[in-house]
Amino acid sequence: MTSIRSRGVSLAKLNPGTRGRIAHVARDLTGCAERLAVLGVTPGAAIRVLQTFPGIVFECDQTEMAVEREVARAILVDVE
Amino acid sequence: MSCHVAAEAAIAARTPPVLRLRAHPLKIALVGNPNVGKSVFFGRLTGRYATVSNYPGTTVTITSGRALVGAEVCDVIDTPGVNALEGMLSEDERITRQLLSEGGAELVIQVADARNLRRALLLTSQLADLGLPMILVLNMLDEAHARGVSVDATRLSETLGVPVIEAVALEGRGIAELKHALPLAALPRAARHHARDHFGWADATAARYRQISAISIGRFQEWLGRAVREPVTGLPILAVVLYLTYLFVGVFGAQTLVGALETGAFAGYINPAATKLASFIPVAFVRDFFVGEYGLVTMGLTYAIAIVLPVVTTFFLVFGFLEDSGYIPRLAIFSDRLFRAMGLNGKAVLPMVLGLGCDTMATMTTRILGTPKERLIAITLLALGVPCSAQLATIMGILGGISVWALLLLFAVVLAQMVFVGFLAAQALPGDRSHFILELPPLRLPRIKNLLTKTLLRVRWYLGEAVPLFLVGTALLFVLDRAGLLTALSQAARPIVTGALGLPADAAEVFVMGFLRRDYGAAGLFRMAHTGELTGVQAVVALTVMTLFVPCVANLLMIIKERGVKTGLAILAAVTVIAIGTGAAVNFGLAVFHIGF
Repeated sequence: MTSIRSRGVSLAKLNPGTRGRIAHVARDLTGCAERLAVLGVTPGAAIRVLQTFPGIVFECDQTEMAVEREVARAILVDVE
Repeated sequence: MSCHVAAEAAIAARTPPVLRLRAHPLKIALVGNPNVGKSVFFGRLTGRYATVSNYPGTTVTITSGRALVGAEVCDVIDTPGVNALEGMLSEDERITRQLLSEGGAELVIQVADARNLRRALLLTSQLADLGLPMILVLNMLDEAHARGVSVDATRLSETLGVPVIEAVALEGRGIAELKHALPLAALPRAARHHARDHFGWADATAARYRQISAISIGRFQEWLGRAVREPVTGLPILAVVLYLTYLFVGVFGAQTLVGALETGAFAGYINPAATKLASFIPVAFVRDFFVGEYGLVTMGLTYAIAIVLPVVTTFFLVFGFLEDSGYIPRLAIFSDRLFRAMGLNGKAVLPMVLGLGCDTMATMTTRILGTPKERLIAITLLALGVPCSAQLATIMGILGGISVWALLLLFAVVLAQMVFVGFLAAQALPGDRSHFILELPPLRLPRIKNLLTKTLLRVRWYLGEAVPLFLVGTALLFVLDRAGLLTALSQAARPIVTGALGLPADAAEVFVMGFLRRDYGAAGLFRMAHTGELTGVQAVVALTVMTLFVPCVANLLMIIKERGVKTGLAILAAVTVIAIGTGAAVNFGLAVFHIGF
């Protein structure tokens, strides 16, 4: 149970209003993780979910951004 | 001796370049994350206006201008926004990196959004590796304070070893300080200096010098932000925005103002006066050249000034307002799924909506898209379906006068055609689409001054670019007409124009005009509709073909510049076939179902 918590919950599963910190951003061949990183989506950054439909909108640190569900799945959050 | 030289070199390296003797102006690059206000600084430093909007990707090319700092002449270079200069780079980021690493700049002013210190420092750290002396500017301090963010600029400056300037560029705060600090520019001590990685260093440094207290204001902004992006409220808001745009551009601009100018000023005073003046010309041929059926004044100038100008101006006003408010990128949230079916992602909404301003400019904006495949699809769709401001203007002018349903039908057909072609292109073309990740700029109330400056410059650009082409086009038509070629052309095109499309034979010449500029062709249709040469159905069919038809010469040249001759010609061929095919289908469909307007 603790191990699951420390690895965080996928951003795609969180409800609007949820706050937390980025635990991990899964890397793949598309370079998504790199693009997210330069926008400030890196482990430790504060995150707040704003909207989950039709796309996922969240605020990370001081940047508001929108991503598609597949991208949100790669972002793991430690919920506060 | 070598020791002495080394010491001298060390002193020279530490001496800021501003104080050294130079044979050419000091080249200063404005670099920073997207949408932090680089272009505002550019304007403040050089006195030249670079388009300022509220969305990432407004600046897509490198612009430079002269500035006088004290007694120094400098070349200030405005660059497209970058999030990184190392690793996976976008086309914009590669352009900026190339400029900096190949001696295009000797000094860097990094403009940063004070709120986003972490992202800014990441860039500072990567800039440090390029070895150029720099200054860090923390811009939009007012917005940062409103959000409860404060930065200890003095201590940050001590740590980095470079001047850190606090600024609100839109109000001119910090510009004088920046100019004073130029001679103090230095190499920053960043990640490499501390033997750390960029991300770790930026995180730690931002955490040390930035404080975030509870947000004090901005509740209204937050509420508005939610209202425009949630589908339940956002879609009705979009409908209202579109309707208000229609009222302002389609009714006020295309009907009230055009009416006043065309029937009032031109038909009432200018054209009769010109005809009277021309009656002193003894040669009929020359007289007709100015005031005949294809006369420079009676046709060229009337089209450019009376029909297109009022609508373009009203459109640019609305468009500038939307650009500066930060609303347009939010449409990406709704449209992401639709664009995904077309092999794109929601980010493509930016070039598509900007295409309504000018397809040629928007073709350049496709650089913000992730992959070559996406850029190719977006460029094709822009060339195919997105009407530019002037064309949109005439469409609204013609169909607004007939029926709103005709207007909606036209948009539905064009949109469906774009989705269909996009879908086919997505399947047929090799390559991938990129994932949808889009930064949303803050919602702001547009500043009247920027809005007016921008509109004025765009209108001036329209007058400078379109009016000469209108006149050249008119002259060309005059020559074609006199040589009998126009009749021959109408005859040759008759099977298509009158047969498949069911249009009057004269419409063929309008399509020739349309190739010079779509809006010029559309203006021709406008006059045909006004003089009763076109029925409602014919107007819809003709406009469908014109909208989908080949892009104007300028756009074609831009496509060739961005994607090569072969791709350009392929797009041209595909678009022509699709345009005529769709027009014929609409004509057939309306006839079968006995629909009239």
